[in-house]
Amino acid sequence: MSNEPQTDPRSPVVRLTTLFDPGSLELISPIDDCGMLAGIGTISGTRTVAFASDATIQGGAMGSVGCSVVVRAYDRALLEGAPIVGLWHSGGARLREGVESLDGVGRVFAAMTRASGKIPQISVVLGPAAGGAAYGPALTDVVIMAPAGRIFVTGPDVVRSVTGEDVDMERLGGAEVHGRRSGVVHLVADSDAQAFEYARELVTLLGNHGKFGDVPIVDVDLAGCIPDAAKRAYDVHPLVEGILDSPGVELHPKWAPNIVTTLGRLGGRTVGVIANNPLRLGGCLDTTSAEKAARFVRMCDAFGIPLVVVVDVPGYLPGLGQEWDGVVRRGAKLLHAFAEAVVPRITLITRKAYGGAYIAMNSRALGATRVLAWPGAEVAVMGAVAAVRILHRRKLAEVGEALRPSLELELAAEHEKISGGIEKAVALGVVDEVVEPSRTRTAIAEAIAAAPAVRGEHGNIPL
Amino acid sequence: MEIRAEMVANVWKVLVSEGQQVQDGDTLVILESMKMEIPVVAEGSGVVRELKVAEGDVVQDGDLIAVIE
Repeated sequence: MSNEPQTDPRSPVVRLTTLFDPGSLELISPIDDCGMLAGIGTISGTRTVAFASDATIQGGAMGSVGCSVVVRAYDRALLEGAPIVGLWHSGGARLREGVESLDGVGRVFAAMTRASGKIPQISVVLGPAAGGAAYGPALTDVVIMAPAGRIFVTGPDVVRSVTGEDVDMERLGGAEVHGRRSGVVHLVADSDAQAFEYARELVTLLGNHGKFGDVPIVDVDLAGCIPDAAKRAYDVHPLVEGILDSPGVELHPKWAPNIVTTLGRLGGRTVGVIANNPLRLGGCLDTTSAEKAARFVRMCDAFGIPLVVVVDVPGYLPGLGQEWDGVVRRGAKLLHAFAEAVVPRITLITRKAYGGAYIAMNSRALGATRVLAWPGAEVAVMGAVAAVRILHRRKLAEVGEALRPSLELELAAEHEKISGGIEKAVALGVVDEVVEPSRTRTAIAEAIAAAPAVRGEHGNIPL
Repeated sequence: MEIRAEMVANVWKVLVSEGQQVQDGDTLVILESMKMEIPVVAEGSGVVRELKVAEGDVVQDGDLIAVIE
């Protein structure tokens, strides 16, 4: 430790004290020069384990002994079934120790993977986190980045000497990079205080299987959250917030914004909401949004958190770029995640659900607990007009341009009646119930309450 | 600031013109793709220096739509 461990804001004691409820921190490792400190305490009453790298010694570099502190912290958290929070500010493995430190960092990774899906793991990156210190947070469930946080495998100096590329730390691994482009970071904080606040909120939401006291459900009319015109785009956030008791915590808000993944509460119980956002890319699913949602589904399933899936999706995004990026392989992750999940998972189709994206968004066939739809919602292979243009191509070509639009509409209405209407979907059993927007909160909460409270037995690999 | 298309789409409506002052969040252009009207919004305030699309154009993923200064 440095000479003034209690006053340096980078000191692990100061940082752990800030994280926990006042007076609750109990150290579970000695204060020495190993570069890591671990403790146990409470966060809003939830018993939680935490560790912090010591940025005041060798830039927080991880040696073999310090790594053992982290591994023991994991053992303790697993034993107690408690969430674990890592506070990162570290240049990676200690150079001086050579392969011994690498072995230590590897043992940390193994401990994290053993705990994956069993206890919630949250990382707060408060300063540069390089090499091993970058992959540590990346193996956990949620990564929060403070303003001074930077995450990269190799720093600017090495990049310059190896490839000649001239970049600074922020461009290499700052908030803009990881919050928007790479998806490495789930939450970008405006201040260290906000980063700690996010960590505390997530511990509360994910810990103890997200069980809280019952809060009576108050129904509100959610119809106003979507526009009347079927083709009009809109921001889905007000609808997500309307379903939840209070706004909740949105993970990955800027990465793959065409799907929204938010942890919040419904009737006082933690739920994970997955919603298509028509404002971005028309709400289409694509490679990154499928991966983002798949990881979120698997995390919620592992921690016993019910899912609410809000569907308004025109399809998978078509095109060369998507196919070359592996939309088939990466999109399959979402199918797998939903089909595998055992937590209660309720689907609400608000406006439309077309094609492969209909199946992927927690359809009946994938094992949805209950599928609800608003009146007038459309479930189909594609939009009715697009469908009749294919099915009745010759007929439409024959009538000439003047009459074509009216014939299209006529055929579309007929087609909708026999293939796409919501009544058909109910008759087939792929939609369980048509609910009014004004009764939706109750319908979702009742469906969750009626399902057994179980959790998936699998890890949460960072997909 | 360069505003680029996020996906292949038809330009359905152009709502601004070059030289016009716009605010953060203003809709510049409405695209039509996947049977959806998709607004393209300014991600900051400024003046529209260049407008690269007209109604009826087809834009590809990554094409420049407008430059705002």
